[in-house]
Amino acid sequence: MRKAKQKMKILRNIILICLLIVMMSSILASKFRRENPGYVEILLAQVSQALDVTKNAQVDTSNAGVVVKVAPGELLPIAVKLSNFGGGRRVDVLVEYSIISSTGEKIYSTNETVAVETTNNFIKTIQIPFGTGGGVYIAKTSIIYNGQLVPATTQFSFTIEKKILGIFQSDFILYGGIAILVSIFMAALGHVLIKRRQRTMRLAPVDYSDVPHDTRVFYELISDTIMGMRQQVGESALDIAKQIEGLVIDEKTGRVLRLTTKPSKVVAELVSGYEKVLGKKVSFSFRNS
Amino acid sequence: MKTQKTILVVEDEKSLREAIVDILKIKNFNPLEAKNGKEGVDLALEKHPDLILLDLLMPEMDGMTALKNIRQDSWGEKVPVIILTNLSATKEQLIEDVVTHKPMHYLIKSDWKLHDVVDKIEKILEMQN
Repeated sequence: MRKAKQKMKILRNIILICLLIVMMSSILASKFRRENPGYVEILLAQVSQALDVTKNAQVDTSNAGVVVKVAPGELLPIAVKLSNFGGGRRVDVLVEYSIISSTGEKIYSTNETVAVETTNNFIKTIQIPFGTGGGVYIAKTSIIYNGQLVPATTQFSFTIEKKILGIFQSDFILYGGIAILVSIFMAALGHVLIKRRQRTMRLAPVDYSDVPHDTRVFYELISDTIMGMRQQVGESALDIAKQIEGLVIDEKTGRVLRLTTKPSKVVAELVSGYEKVLGKKVSFSFRNS
Repeated sequence: MKTQKTILVVEDEKSLREAIVDILKIKNFNPLEAKNGKEGVDLALEKHPDLILLDLLMPEMDGMTALKNIRQDSWGEKVPVIILTNLSATKEQLIEDVVTHKPMHYLIKSDWKLHDVVDKIEKILEMQN
């Protein structure tokens, strides 16, 4: 009786320890599952696989690399990952690939048989048919195993877009637009710089050091007044200067070539002419001698 | 240390003269005032300002006569002068006088704002330094 009680006590302790181990395992497992869901999923799938292999067969696809946009005629790479097949033995799986438009129309379909021993990873490339219109499409992958469509399917979306000069249409428009804007900006900037340079050159004081000293001051005064007026009224300043009696100027540059009459008379008439055009009196400056 | 430059303002119109003097004081110049050409010549030859701002149409002695007198002095022949006037330079004699007596600028009052005139004064004095 006493021995029986001891056995019962030992058995109870063993059961308690087992329960404790189970509880600890459960806690650890749930924690592990939270941290490694994929791994746990595979484990569970493998356990179930022994019961019904087709229910837990997995297929996963993704766009291989960074390709999210392809042109008609180009290759679309699909990374395929098959798992939980065969229960440890080698089996043949029929993988069907299809490209479906946003309206649900299947524009391309192909299949291939792949040997799988539990898992298989590979990259399948599909050539997008020439003439396919642009838009968002879905690459769908299904698996047929033992003559049955397995519930596992996977898909991802991608864009088909035509290329112009080897560049996707939208990129071509974007980069083309940027290039046009930059070109316009550069052309405008160049135009402004050239104009400014021409203006600076045009309005730069003309050197009259070759003119005799006693009349040089009049040449400089007339020349600078013409240049100053060009800034204000434009090329008509030259037209007015050309009409002044006794004043001979270069018709393009405005340089004073000759004074054939009294210099002060030329200045007075030039100032009068400009005052008539401007409707206000004219100031002038002398060069530092 | 920057020395304060003296500017002689010869202008018969009191309000304009005072406005110029005020802005010159703000710009840290030492302005001197004369209300006609005669006063201007006397003050110029006595104080030897660094620059003269000169009106042309004034009572007692006009600006051009005052400029002729100043230019006859050994100091005055080189002092920079800015003519600030409303007299249009459309007369041959006036132009000959102006060219002969070499002011730095012949400015029409209505065309110029005071601070632009002060800018020109500063530039001339900077060049001289």
